[in-house]
Amino acid sequence: MSLRTSALMGACAVMALATAASAETTITVATVNNGDMIRMQGLTSDFEAKHPDIKVEWVTLEENVLRQRVTTDVATKGGQYDVMTIGTYEVPIWGKQGWLVGLNDLPESYDVDDLLPAIRGGLTVDGTLYAAPFYGESSMVMYRKDLVEAAGLEMPEAPTWDQVREIAAATTDKANEVYGICLRGKAGWGENMAFLTAMSNSFGAKWFDMEWTPQFDSPEWKRTLTFYLDLMENYGPPGASSNGFNENLALFQTGKCAMWIDATVAASFVTNPDESEVADQVGFALAPDNGLGKRGNWLWAWNLGIPAGTEKEEAAKAFVEWATSKEYTELVAEKEGWANVPPGTRTSLYENPAYLEAAPFAQMTLESIEAADPQNPTVDEVPYVGVQFVAIPEFQGLGTAVGQQFSAALAGQVTAEQALANAQTLTEREMKRAGY
Amino acid sequence: MATQHSRAAARTMISPAVILLLGWMLIPLGLTIYFSFLRYNLLMPGANPFVGFENYAYFFTDPAFWPAVINTLLLVGGVLLITIVGGVLLALLLDQPIWGRGIVRILVIAPFFVMPTVSALVWKNMFFHPVNGLFGQLAKGLGFEPFDFLAQAPLASIILIVSWQWLPFATLILLTALQSLDSEQLEAAEMDGAGALSRFRHIALPHLARAITVVILIQTIFLLSVFAEILVTTNGGPGNASTNLTYLIYAQSLLQFDVGLGSAGGVFAILLANIVAFFLMRMIGKNLDL
Amino acid sequence: MARAVTTNRKVVSTVFGWAIAILIFFPILWTILTSFKTEAEAIASPPSFLVFDWTLENYSTVQERSDYFLHFMNSVILSLGSTVLGLLIAIPAAWSMAFVPAKRTKDVLMWMLSTKMLPPVGVLVPIYLIFRDIGLLDTRLGLVIVLTLINLPIIIWMLFTYFREIPGDILEAARMDGASLRDEIIHVLTPMAVPGIASTLLLNVILAWNEAFWTLNLTAANAAPLTAFIASYSSPEGLFYAKLSAASTMAIAPILILGWFSQKQLVRGLTFGAVK
Repeated sequence: MSLRTSALMGACAVMALATAASAETTITVATVNNGDMIRMQGLTSDFEAKHPDIKVEWVTLEENVLRQRVTTDVATKGGQYDVMTIGTYEVPIWGKQGWLVGLNDLPESYDVDDLLPAIRGGLTVDGTLYAAPFYGESSMVMYRKDLVEAAGLEMPEAPTWDQVREIAAATTDKANEVYGICLRGKAGWGENMAFLTAMSNSFGAKWFDMEWTPQFDSPEWKRTLTFYLDLMENYGPPGASSNGFNENLALFQTGKCAMWIDATVAASFVTNPDESEVADQVGFALAPDNGLGKRGNWLWAWNLGIPAGTEKEEAAKAFVEWATSKEYTELVAEKEGWANVPPGTRTSLYENPAYLEAAPFAQMTLESIEAADPQNPTVDEVPYVGVQFVAIPEFQGLGTAVGQQFSAALAGQVTAEQALANAQTLTEREMKRAGY
Repeated sequence: MATQHSRAAARTMISPAVILLLGWMLIPLGLTIYFSFLRYNLLMPGANPFVGFENYAYFFTDPAFWPAVINTLLLVGGVLLITIVGGVLLALLLDQPIWGRGIVRILVIAPFFVMPTVSALVWKNMFFHPVNGLFGQLAKGLGFEPFDFLAQAPLASIILIVSWQWLPFATLILLTALQSLDSEQLEAAEMDGAGALSRFRHIALPHLARAITVVILIQTIFLLSVFAEILVTTNGGPGNASTNLTYLIYAQSLLQFDVGLGSAGGVFAILLANIVAFFLMRMIGKNLDL
Repeated sequence: MARAVTTNRKVVSTVFGWAIAILIFFPILWTILTSFKTEAEAIASPPSFLVFDWTLENYSTVQERSDYFLHFMNSVILSLGSTVLGLLIAIPAAWSMAFVPAKRTKDVLMWMLSTKMLPPVGVLVPIYLIFRDIGLLDTRLGLVIVLTLINLPIIIWMLFTYFREIPGDILEAARMDGASLRDEIIHVLTPMAVPGIASTLLLNVILAWNEAFWTLNLTAANAAPLTAFIASYSSPEGLFYAKLSAASTMAIAPILILGWFSQKQLVRGLTFGAVK
């Protein structure tokens, strides 16, 4: 670079900073079309009132499209977004690559120590916080008290998989379109594989051993998959292989599922009488286990991160701070009620009596989140971090490809054995290609 | 007629189009070929070393490769078959005197105006969904077990959606062609005692050959790269049951962010498109005297 | 007697014609109807056809969530912009291929069509990098260029087939009268080709309006058209059939209405030289 161009660029940078400081800044926020984010979008005016020099533009996309768009953009330094909504999976990988702006300089009033340790730990790389959690979740059992009672059974607070199967069998009434259990079946590393990987932990299975050898040929995985397929074939809804979180939510809200094991954030939707026909009949329990010391629950958070290299870092930080602050929680509580605040990120929320009263699922959510341990997710020791994912860049592709196999098994196109054998082959192939 | 002068002018006038398309083809193609020889993953920035044919080796041995090729051909072939047979029948019907023909034509043409994303979303949720979809409810109303279209017959379901979108196009072109058919010729044949079927086979069908060729050519261009319908409905699954080449390349370059591998797939897809194009062009050459 | 047969035949073909037309149109009709239902009614079993509480609630929910007008304007600008630009490049090219055919004309045309077969996913990353470097990401200009290029082959081919049907003698006569090449194109050729150009324009607007790969991948907040608007509804939370239907109706309505009003024009021209 010649002296003149660098001088020119320096001047431009100074000018850019100067304009950023004086004139109105427009930041582009990319987010996923989940209920809590759409609520945040609706509250933008509060942020703009507090920061009259910043204007917010939204790009709201479906999860898979969003992930593809923001990853392409951050990896090619396209610079189209100033704030990105990203998951717990991306943050450590991107942080390590230097793609995100560190957030260690958030002001005192933000009270970073209030963040739940399990969630915060997943967003920190070498002591630097790379994204702020917007909401956090684990997974748990949501069930219909009326149906379980009518079947003469009782849901324990911490059920085992065998108890879950027993209840599913007793509550299934296909003639009346009530299915004993609804689980994810749609292929995708964040869809069926999130559930199945977390479930496999409680069966003692794992993705890789300490030498990074894939483990789909293990008896533990076989037990996991056959148990899942057996549950779904006998007691699950039709079309399960294309059901993800949203599809199952719709089924549960319309009273078609007796049990649903999924994200804890769903609790506020299924207990909301405006949206759910079964709002007053929902009970909660911890995700099932097999007595091996690990439960089948995951840990996830949607977070706001700032791509390195954005020219609007200050404005973007102001936004991230606003959206993940205690004040934002109070704002939502004031406008929409305490049950609708974004859960799972701050200790103080779970000490707030108003919230605990409004949200019958609060205690179970907190317990589920605390029961997940991303550093030691499995029964045996493993070389990776992540409960329902493996925090390596290859996992997105791998998880989705394996998810396709398991989804095909659920659709009855291949047997469990074939699906596992295919998963093993393709994982070995990809790992070899990646040089592990 | 063509003087020296007008030849030069003609060349000047065609050149913007040629240069632009050449650039549009060569620059991305060049980069794609270049990337296909690199180990280049967006998620792992670094040196991007030259790896020779490694990406190609991985692409061709991918377990999803052959299913994707076969699905691509089935999808193109299936939709062509349905839209052409359906289009001919529908064109014959619409060529008859009908009360309110204008409105009928408007209704038939409508699916062509619908965005692929929208039609896929509507079919997936409001028709195919086994619990809340209309087909599922219909089946239950009649006392049958609802059929799970996207899980049990994913490729056929996608073929149905895509055919619904392209049937109007085929019908319209075939109808225009049919209407240009000399009615005296048909009447003469009728006088000679030719049955309806034989009139269709010996007079209408040969007349439609050109139009059918055009439909095949245009639709093939669009059908080779069907993508939104698959992304929205099945994500290529279950397994690889509805993965076509476009979707496979998408999965490699934008789900795994393996640009090297995706580029190798892109080069193959371009090759395949050119092979298909070559055969199409020969066919067209016979039927369309350009 | 003959008259009775004709009437009978007309009744039969009318019944069949209407039945099939309604069947084909039904998915769209159903979407439009559902957009006026409440979420609970949208999935009610058995489904209600016309007797339900009509509501506009879904439309206001959708509008609250995303700025329909911005996306709509982008769609209009992109589809019209790319069509006009495409016609400006294509008319001269099609003219020269139709009236001054060279030995290679047919090969050139076929080559142009073959560029349309490039699978877009295969070249997304290169294009993304180029757009980033020249600052065209999320700009209307960038998308107009891309949409022009991907539809150019179709435009040229369509125009080429119309121009060929114009008898060369007329042009010859004009030239004899001393018309320049420019006059010849503007005053003689273009008026004769207006129906063809109009239907090319319509078809191209439809294709550009519905293009969902490039428009989704190269835009963020500023240039995103209705295809991006609909992408935020592909799996919303909980019950969403009515909202999805409202968003779908909003996305397809403009082009549906345009198509219906101009369908005679479109149909007349949609031959691609298939009719001699």
